[in-house]
Amino acid sequence: MLASIGGLLVARLFDAIVPLFMKTAIDSLADPDIEPTLLVPVLSILGIVATRFLIYVFSQRALRRLSISVSYDLRKRLFNHVQFQGAHFFNRFGTGDLMSRAVNDVSMVRMVVSFGAVTILTTVFTLITGLYFMIMLSPSLTFWVVLPLPLVGVAGFGMARALFPYYMDRQEAMAEVTAFTQENLNGIRTVQAMAQEEKEIDRFRDVSTHYAQTVYRVNRYQALMNVVMGFISTASTVIVIFYGGALVLRGEITLGTFMAFFSYLMMVAWPVRMIGMSITMFTAAAAGTERIFEILDYEPEVDDASTKTVTTELRGRIEFRNLVYSHPGAPRPTIDGATFNIEPGETIAFMGRVGSGKSTLLNAIVRLVDTPAGMVFLDGHDIHDFPLHQLRGAVTLVPQDPFLFSMTLRDNLTYDDLSRGDELIWEAAEAAAFADPLRRQLAEGLDTMVGERGVTLSGGQKQRATLTRGMVRDAKVLLLDDCFSSVDTETEERILRGLRRMRGGKTTMLISHRVSTARHADRIFVIDGGRFKESGTHQELIARGGYYADLAAVQSNQDEDRERKARLLRDLDSEISAVPMPEAAKL
Amino acid sequence: MSENAIQAPGPSRNYSAFDAELTHQALNVRLFVRLLGWLKPYLITLFVSIAFVVMAALSQVLMPILTSVVIIDTILVPTTIASDAPDYGLLALVDWIQSTYALEALSAAGLVYVTVLVGQSLLSFAHQLTLYSCSLKALRDLRIDLFAALERKPASFFDHVGVGRVMTRVTNDVENLFQLLTGFGGLAGEFVPFFVALFAMLAISGSLTGVVLVALPVAAIATIAFRIAMRKIFRFIRDSVSALNQYMQEDLVGIDVVQLSGREKQNIEEYGTHNRANRGYEFRAINFEVLYDTFNMSLGSVVTGGIVWFGGGQVIQQDISLGSMILFTSLVQMMIMPIVSLGQQFNVLFRSMASGERIFQALDWDEQLHEPDEPTVMEGRLRGKVEFRHAHFGYYQGEEILKDVSFSIEPGEKLAIVGPTGSGKSTIIRLLVRFYDIDDNMVFVDDVDVNKIHSRDLRERVGVVLQDFHIFSGTVCDNITLNNPDITRERAEWAARSVNADGFIQELADGYDTQLAERGQNLSQGQRQLLAFARVLAADPEILVLDEATANIDTSTELVVQDAVAKLTEGRTSIVVAHRLQTIQECDRILVLHHGVVEELGTHDELIAKGGIYYTLHELQFQDADVAREVAREDEGSEGRTTDPRWVSTPEDPSDTPDRM
Repeated sequence: MLASIGGLLVARLFDAIVPLFMKTAIDSLADPDIEPTLLVPVLSILGIVATRFLIYVFSQRALRRLSISVSYDLRKRLFNHVQFQGAHFFNRFGTGDLMSRAVNDVSMVRMVVSFGAVTILTTVFTLITGLYFMIMLSPSLTFWVVLPLPLVGVAGFGMARALFPYYMDRQEAMAEVTAFTQENLNGIRTVQAMAQEEKEIDRFRDVSTHYAQTVYRVNRYQALMNVVMGFISTASTVIVIFYGGALVLRGEITLGTFMAFFSYLMMVAWPVRMIGMSITMFTAAAAGTERIFEILDYEPEVDDASTKTVTTELRGRIEFRNLVYSHPGAPRPTIDGATFNIEPGETIAFMGRVGSGKSTLLNAIVRLVDTPAGMVFLDGHDIHDFPLHQLRGAVTLVPQDPFLFSMTLRDNLTYDDLSRGDELIWEAAEAAAFADPLRRQLAEGLDTMVGERGVTLSGGQKQRATLTRGMVRDAKVLLLDDCFSSVDTETEERILRGLRRMRGGKTTMLISHRVSTARHADRIFVIDGGRFKESGTHQELIARGGYYADLAAVQSNQDEDRERKARLLRDLDSEISAVPMPEAAKL
Repeated sequence: MSENAIQAPGPSRNYSAFDAELTHQALNVRLFVRLLGWLKPYLITLFVSIAFVVMAALSQVLMPILTSVVIIDTILVPTTIASDAPDYGLLALVDWIQSTYALEALSAAGLVYVTVLVGQSLLSFAHQLTLYSCSLKALRDLRIDLFAALERKPASFFDHVGVGRVMTRVTNDVENLFQLLTGFGGLAGEFVPFFVALFAMLAISGSLTGVVLVALPVAAIATIAFRIAMRKIFRFIRDSVSALNQYMQEDLVGIDVVQLSGREKQNIEEYGTHNRANRGYEFRAINFEVLYDTFNMSLGSVVTGGIVWFGGGQVIQQDISLGSMILFTSLVQMMIMPIVSLGQQFNVLFRSMASGERIFQALDWDEQLHEPDEPTVMEGRLRGKVEFRHAHFGYYQGEEILKDVSFSIEPGEKLAIVGPTGSGKSTIIRLLVRFYDIDDNMVFVDDVDVNKIHSRDLRERVGVVLQDFHIFSGTVCDNITLNNPDITRERAEWAARSVNADGFIQELADGYDTQLAERGQNLSQGQRQLLAFARVLAADPEILVLDEATANIDTSTELVVQDAVAKLTEGRTSIVVAHRLQTIQECDRILVLHHGVVEELGTHDELIAKGGIYYTLHELQFQDADVAREVAREDEGSEGRTTDPRWVSTPEDPSDTPDRM
């Protein structure tokens, strides 16, 4: 690294020597008293060029490799760091935000490393060498020539700073164009159904015109900057002509010196201009670096420091001891004193409306929501005493939102352990009622590619696929967060039967809105406002005549109707045909 | 409409072509010419701009001539050698200034120098401004045209093409063309000096020019070789970067699954593989880049050395003047520069051509609804009669979703459509508002074939609440009015009140001015649906079509929604694709659809009397809907909420938003 910077500095030094040899050649030609010498200067120039070539190639290569390595390293650290973050982190930094840091800010830092730092270093050196040789040739001419240079630096710095807001405007306008297009196309059906296309095109015209204006302003300012800087730099050139020319006429300097000054002036004026601009660039890059370190310095909220490993065979007993938990910034606790035991092999259903705290309860067990120690226990051990991988291996949560990666279904279904055999997958798929769609609707079965470059699954198919992914792990404890919402009652029945088959002797906890699902559970908990309202078996709760009983009354008619309807339609030999629109629209 | 209209959206179109990598021709003249079409309105500006750059380039050549021929050869080291170097009248000008204003020769020359320099700066400033102006305007127009073309594509197009990939055409690809236009506009400024310099050099010394001309092919060959070597690597870098970003994006979106599956370490490994691959390509690229950059830098110096050697010899033999030799060294730079810039432009050209292809592919995609040549203008408000006559339709060739569907709805009537998934319920709605092209004489509104009505006119009259209604980022009010200036805020608020949405809107932080996230992520499912209802009501359609959302919402919210549906359909011809039996009950007639065939159609009583499918469904009908309503109300009341008892949740409650967990 130091060697390569050193190399670059030497290369600059060589750059500075070339005009000296030119001077020798010119002087020997201009002055009839001197014997013309061409061979030495020409050979020297060629020698310098060759040496410089080698040094330059090696140094530049090393420096640019460094900048590539820096961005490689930053990306790697960002990605690794993000893998272990918890819910708060992802609530604070959205996917788009994180992506933009990993892409834009990293490349900004890279640019500064490769260009900024090295450029500043070498330009300063170039400046110094240039000045040294100029002073050596003619101190008085140097004085006058250098006089306007500080002005160049100041103007460069000032104008580059003034450019910044224009630049920001442009970035914002571009973001606006992107956001507008994206949103409009995502909602295109709504726009078309409401016949708003022409109005949207008009709005886009405004957005697009605004963007064009901001780009124009940036470029106009940059062009202006070039003109102004050009004028100021010219002052030095003019001084060389007037004063330097006069010195030549008076015989105080030679013609070669005069010409060498032109070359050195270029060497000196350019760095001065660059320094002003580099400072501005550094300010922008500093912001980028800050944004990257904001992520890297974020302490993972889930502390996986446990070195203990619980070695005894896990049985799947879950215990909550007066758990109180608040989401950050929430006015009241999400879970307000949850105490309960779940014995191995039990099936428990949680009911309650949106926001009652059901999901938080399940998330707490796998530490997606990190609760304080001493409140949640698995087989009598605090869940914080398990290494995360052991805890999450023993307890499988199937989240509410069915998410599949763009890979084959096989890889998706065995996401945690790719070595699982197809037999196990099919067994789980049967239980999750996913085997049928796998066989009949997805032509390539387990090899079907899903996601962007593959097949788009329907909501029901996705849900069943993620259920399969959860079931295939055959964990001691299975947590299902409202996983039947997109399947019809008949399929749900089949899944419940499958669950009974596969989950014998193992703990299962599920969230549902439907009484028809919950009634199959050993015990039912009704949660509201983070508190338990009711608990007991289906019969007990119906007898109690509370919320659950009311819900059952409201739903039973609808549900039985649905069931009837389903049965009826089965008799009518229903087959599902493809309707592309609503599914394609979901993404 | 032709009889093959049914197949129009089918697989006869190769949608994958839309996603595939395109040809990547480096230079596609046709494409370039087409692009110039957008510059047409701004041609005058473009010509002015090119004129400016040519003048600026000419004046750029004057400066080294001034330095060498005038200042050195004439003033500083007066030479006796008859110089062939052209002075373009500069000598005469300096003489004239010198004699007219009684200045020293040097001062006169300096004055000319400054003037030329200032002139050149101003000319290139003017060139840049005009060039940017016309390029930006042309691309703005192109972007709007592209957007408009996409905006008017029919539903079948968006069924098959991902929004993300279409979007980058409007954003990135148009952006790439900006570099192309400005790059090529500026290139004129590089090549004019090239030829001027060449002429000047030939005038001075043919043999010395020969030395320089040897260097040119070398520079050209190096540039071409570099581009060929880089072409593949650039492609690799691009691909590896996009693989890298895609991987990260997906990992972030599915981070819960990643963590729950304990895949963190493996994903880090996989990301590392992509990251390393990318670094490898970048390393390979810089090897070439550094070599090429250094080569260019050195070539100038080597040629200068050659000129000093050969030119110096000629100066000694008094063949040329010293100034001429120095002039030569300046002119050499002017000749090599354009070749280097052209090399840089190749990269831009390469990228822009691919972008251009993508843009024109989207523009040329001719999938569209066939609008009538002379659309029937419907006077006044519709009566509201809807009729399907033997309608057949399939999304794909050989597939029939609707088979001989016939029914009619009288003005003001409410029709419920029931049937299993895939029976064609939603398709009926889509055909009614012409989301897809259909054959003539199948669907009628007020006895007019919908194919004879312009789709826009039709959709203004037929209001649809789709299952996948979209919430846009913007205020609540914007989402109701959809930025339609004809809908006042009062009207929006009235609509919200009418569909029970006012309650929750008032509880939002800024009421109707609350900013909503895209897709309405800060609203619950039920709230989103009510908002969609308000939107449709505000537009006051003459016929209402509603595709009930099937999503699971809790029972009390469902009751609020059902009440809103009743209010929406009041006094309007309405079609409801019903998933809830309660909704069906409130309709005048019921259509039972199965496998795209109308199985039963009639009033509730008729269908009951018929004893068919609907009868079986109805056997278990609600005894008393009001009881259900009471249940929900009491339940809310027991929690002591003071707000609208039927409303369930408020968005300030963070756990209410469907968060990431």
